[in-house]
Amino acid sequence: MWERLREWFSERKQKLDLFDETNVERYDNPLYLLGQIVYFSWIVVIASGVLLMIWYEPTTHGAYNSILRIQHEIPLGWLIRGMHKYGADMLIIAITLRIYRMYFLGEYKRPNELSWMILFGSLVLAMISGLTGYLLIWNQRAFWAAKVVLTVAVYLDQLPLIGQTRFGSAIAFAFLGGPAEGQGTLTRFYAIHFGISVLLLILVELYFLFTRRKRFNLSPTALVILLVMLVVTSWIFPAEMGRRADPNRTPLPILSDWYFLALYQYVKYTPPLWAGLGPGLLIAYGMLVPFLDRSKGRRPSERPFFTVVGIMALTYFLVFTALILFNIAVIGRDPHIVLVLTALTLTLGFVLEVRYRRKVRAAEAAMPRPAPRAAVAARPAPSSGA
Amino acid sequence: MAEEQKAKDVNRRTFLQVVASIPALGALAAFAAPLLRYLKPNLDPGLGVPQGRFPPDLIEGDLPRGEPLPIARVEELSEPWSSKFFVFTQKYPQYTPEQARAFTVPGVAIKLPWKVRFPGYREGKEPTDIVVFSRICPHLGCIFNYVPDWREITAGYGGYMPPPERRHGLLGCPCHLSIYDPADRDLPGRVLSGPAPRPPRYFVYEVRNEVIVVTAVEPGGIA
Ligand code: FES
Repeated sequence: MWERLREWFSERKQKLDLFDETNVERYDNPLYLLGQIVYFSWIVVIASGVLLMIWYEPTTHGAYNSILRIQHEIPLGWLIRGMHKYGADMLIIAITLRIYRMYFLGEYKRPNELSWMILFGSLVLAMISGLTGYLLIWNQRAFWAAKVVLTVAVYLDQLPLIGQTRFGSAIAFAFLGGPAEGQGTLTRFYAIHFGISVLLLILVELYFLFTRRKRFNLSPTALVILLVMLVVTSWIFPAEMGRRADPNRTPLPILSDWYFLALYQYVKYTPPLWAGLGPGLLIAYGMLVPFLDRSKGRRPSERPFFTVVGIMALTYFLVFTALILFNIAVIGRDPHIVLVLTALTLTLGFVLEVRYRRKVRAAEAAMPRPAPRAAVAARPAPSSGA
Repeated sequence: MAEEQKAKDVNRRTFLQVVASIPALGALAAFAAPLLRYLKPNLDPGLGVPQGRFPPDLIEGDLPRGEPLPIARVEELSEPWSSKFFVFTQKYPQYTPEQARAFTVPGVAIKLPWKVRFPGYREGKEPTDIVVFSRICPHLGCIFNYVPDWREITAGYGGYMPPPERRHGLLGCPCHLSIYDPADRDLPGRVLSGPAPRPPRYFVYEVRNEVIVVTAVEPGGIA
């Protein structure tokens, strides 16, 4: 048992591919530059973050003012802030796109399960880092976003067995640093925001040290293009300040950073306990998908069910984001529509899967005996380039 | 012979390894355990929560106490659907250098055109036409609004269209569009729409010489 686990682990460990650094021959395809972009933007974010720390003041009274000062008084402060914010956005976009690429092309399959799980986990960590990061501005959006997220955790106490341990309140308390959002929260978020990046950075450096991979395969042109993109974005759309946090007034509508918006719409539709469980299930699905998907092929058409689920997730993300931006939600009606649509789509995926498998079996039966095995073995190699 | 010897050696080695690792693990655990204390907040709501219990209860342990607060004179709330906002200060003894820190709970008093049994007024035994709610949304803790014109609810709060008998002042939360009816005859604050699990919390108040005085807030809620 242990032996097998260790074997499994060591095989996956050798095949780790965290930043697409083994796909060198495919760098004419921008889809395979995403891993490199993740690494690049991460370095930008950390470098600018350290510069910001010099002037940032992590107190409820001083935070907002200190950022105003960085933005308007410190020479090039706006640029540093812009690089930090848009660098982080770029990181999240790149890592999300990469995860979708790996999902639709079946790249999470053997021997890449571990790479996939690490990547998926780091997307979650990046989002947590983002959430803890924008509280630091101490503006209205940040204040309410943090409050709403942490209150969801409290409802986990309604769960039958786990609830007895007050697990949900423990989460809220550990993050809040007290019974309400205040200085304790700010300090803790500051620590978490900084800690996540530094911890992951150390781990990644160890990874590069042990695998002796080349850490950077971006061409100078690509590098310059990315940098110019960041600078121009920070110039044209200076990172916003919002209004100073006011615990006694909720803005209408309340929005968070763009990658959480779809989740906010989901929270509108569901009772609070489900608002907490839903994202947890989503993360669990993401982490376990390499083990759930036992299909042979890697092409989207060779595993219809998982392809349909992926498309559905992407559609929901886009549609929910649009809905919350325009503040559209008819709570009495929409959840039913969403449920029915989900059920229909899943059934469709299931039917397609069954039909596809029948077809494959029929084709195998029609062929002479030894042929199918060779055909199955030969298929994945050329198709992974598609 | 040599092989047997080898097997014995291996056994002895595993045995020694196990023996050595127990105290090592113990030492590690002893070192790690106090670090968990870092997760526990340095502020503690104190009263009402058994000391040292982790974590203090966010739902039940909130302390409703504070200075009685006069919020309005009765004649200020004479028109039906008129309202008055106020901020109530709760007091918590805590482990801070000051030994105390105040949390504020925004509230609203609303005059209704009919009488309801409101638990905040003489514990619901006497019908009243003035209801006083905490504005902390029982869904996820946003501060909700009193919206005197129900049409605004339809426009800005997710398109909820109240049935004819509820077309009057309503409470609406901007965060996830929960809507409450402060004037429901059986359950003031009934949830009409949205994900809120219960009606908003209420204030306990008394009328002293024509002045509405708030004395406490229903326990719970997230400050
Ligand atoms: S916090 Fe009020 S509806 Fe969610």
